[in-house]
Amino acid sequence: MATNSLKSKKIGSHLFIWVLILFTLFPIYVVITSSFNPTGSLATSSLIPQIWSLDNYKVLFNNPAVPYLTWVENSIFLAVANAAISVFVGTASAFAFSRMRFKGRKLGLQALLLVQVFPSFLALAAIYVMMERVYTVFPAIGLGSLGGLLLIYLGGSMGVNAWLLKGYIDTIPMELDEAARIDGASSFQVFWIIFFPLAAPVLAVTALLSFIGTFNEFVLASLFLQDVHSRTVAVGLQQFVGQQFGQNWGPFAAGSLLAAIPLVILFLSLQRFIIGGLTQGATKG
Amino acid sequence: MMYRLAGFTGLKAQIFKISFMAIIDALLIWMFFASMAKEDSSTLSAVIAAIFFFTNLIYFAKFTLPLKFLLPGLILLITFVVVPVAYTIQMSGYVFKTGNEISKADALPQIEANGLTLDDTAPTFDLVLGKVDGKWAALLTSQVDQSVLLATEEKSVVLPAGSYRADDLGIARSTDGFDPVTEDFAANNEESIINLRFPYKDNSFISPQGIDIAAVLTQSLVYDKERDAFTDTASGITYIDNGRGNYAAESDPSMTLTPGWRAWNAFENYTKLLSDPNVRGPFIGVFIWTVSFALISVLMMFAVGLLLAVILNQKIALRRFYRSILILPYAIPSFMSILIWAGMFNRQFGAINALFGTEIDFFNSPTLAKMVILIVNLWLGFPYFYLISSGALQSIPSELEEAAAIDGANNRQIMSKIKLPLILQILSPLLIASFAFNFNNFNIIYLLTGGGPTNVLQGETAGATDILITYTYKTAFGSQEQNLGLASAISMVIFLIVGSISLWSLRRSKVLETM
Repeated sequence: MATNSLKSKKIGSHLFIWVLILFTLFPIYVVITSSFNPTGSLATSSLIPQIWSLDNYKVLFNNPAVPYLTWVENSIFLAVANAAISVFVGTASAFAFSRMRFKGRKLGLQALLLVQVFPSFLALAAIYVMMERVYTVFPAIGLGSLGGLLLIYLGGSMGVNAWLLKGYIDTIPMELDEAARIDGASSFQVFWIIFFPLAAPVLAVTALLSFIGTFNEFVLASLFLQDVHSRTVAVGLQQFVGQQFGQNWGPFAAGSLLAAIPLVILFLSLQRFIIGGLTQGATKG
Repeated sequence: MMYRLAGFTGLKAQIFKISFMAIIDALLIWMFFASMAKEDSSTLSAVIAAIFFFTNLIYFAKFTLPLKFLLPGLILLITFVVVPVAYTIQMSGYVFKTGNEISKADALPQIEANGLTLDDTAPTFDLVLGKVDGKWAALLTSQVDQSVLLATEEKSVVLPAGSYRADDLGIARSTDGFDPVTEDFAANNEESIINLRFPYKDNSFISPQGIDIAAVLTQSLVYDKERDAFTDTASGITYIDNGRGNYAAESDPSMTLTPGWRAWNAFENYTKLLSDPNVRGPFIGVFIWTVSFALISVLMMFAVGLLLAVILNQKIALRRFYRSILILPYAIPSFMSILIWAGMFNRQFGAINALFGTEIDFFNSPTLAKMVILIVNLWLGFPYFYLISSGALQSIPSELEEAAAIDGANNRQIMSKIKLPLILQILSPLLIASFAFNFNNFNIIYLLTGGGPTNVLQGETAGATDILITYTYKTAFGSQEQNLGLASAISMVIFLIVGSISLWSLRRSKVLETM
């Protein structure tokens, strides 16, 4: 009896896993097959494709109305710049909160905590009106520009990053910077020469999470970037399947696949660090 | 390591710092003057000036070491988060929507212009345009009795016969001091000509209708500055400022003059949320669905993720392989997967209908659309919950399990009485954070269903699957009416809800005390 229930439990477990795996892989299978399907739909009469062609990929690179490479460049610019700057600036703030004692520190931390739970696009209407104004004076950082969007991303990621990084920095032993101080290093030197290299791995993970987050961002980008050449991959590809171009799934699938593959590889190869970062908040809480 | 930095102290570092700050200052000063040169940008100029002031104060004064590290982040946070939030609060106190976008000062002349009507009892005139003392003037010959007027923008006088020269048709062509312009010149200046106003009688004036014809317009809406009211001279109705950005008829408040203006009314938008049936109805419906969507999503993801973690924590074959596949949804950019799912549920050429040989229109039925959203959200979210549950399971010391087993507890009891409560305790901050995230999960709703299905014919403003944040977006940037004031008020409500949930969760986890 006991072995029987154990056996059925085991079968149940495997069944559960395999159902989940099919559930997981189904859309991935569909996107791969439709990227090679020249008819432009996500599945024709059968799920197994009859014709294979590279037409959808050619559209991305040969059609002047579809500046796919420019979109990729824009996305990478925003994601890299946001990740690098926000991690650098965020680390400086986190360093002050973690290592220095000053008036208003606790209040500042509490304020930071509250700010970081508010997604910045809740103030969407205000940001829009504000950047419309900025545009009339400085077009390069106003509405419709990548520079302006970057500034908004930076502001939005500041709270989260500073808060997250402070958690990491607290785990780096104080003795190291104390030793450096005894040797006569200034605060800035401790930060830049001792501390930055030490924290490099966690900074890299934070930067990666920030990179993925920016790459995924859709709301602000779609509202902000109207011109076809300043779009990001997310906004650009969405146009294929939105109202404007009709339901043109082939190029969308091809473009998505090309953009997703490097990210998935990056994610899977760094998964151990990323997961460490995710669960840290939980297990320490 | 210390030796490397030895070269970067003293003078060198000072020079570096000063030149760096000089560049920043030059940039800020340039931005300040560029901004001052434009109209309507005093706030922007003030922000730039403040950044300039604090940057220099903090980097050149001695007493502010922590602020030197905090300042760059602080500037970004204040300029792009705190200021927009403050602006949102301010906007939520304004009637600020399509038809009420401009300032009252800009609205007044437009209302007056809209109050002009063609007077069909008055004659039309043959028009000869010209200049008197370099200013626009007109020689007007009445088409009714051929009497002639010389009009400037200040006054018009009747010319006695003989004081002007007329052509064969009896149309006055010239007179002393009047300098006719050529037809080409008139044609090139048509836009300014159309806006010319020559006084005629009380509340009426002659206005060119082309380059050779003019008619009498009556100012039927007269503005009374002292009472701040408009009176319709034809009907006698008085329109007064209704405090909500419009002039409304005294007798019937629903009769308003256009355009309106952006008016301060602190509670208008908030009371609308609670009392106006056209706003309250959709708002409450959207609110209920938002909460249930976030709650059900988190529960489903957590249930599947935890079960998966329990199974994969045992030693079963192919464990690593399963794991790599099952975290894929978390690695794929979510906007792509959501759009792919949207295509798969398409009625005509979606893979789901192809798989089952059906033609179900998932996105046209409120219930099915909601189910689709929950299924897709489960796909997106269960790997994350698997990862955190797995981490939490591994952090439970095995001694606990052993001790319970010695006391005679079976596997199920160990799970439900010992592990589950512990996991819930460990993960509760993340569960709450996830609830808050899904509460504002714009992408999944907007990209999957667009908030629909929406019964536009019945005048619905919110779709069946709209959550608060997409409803806010539609309110602010909708295709028919854009109501920035109301959208800001809804944003404030969301702020309050999400903020209090987060504060409550932080209190519980005692993070605030250990900072």
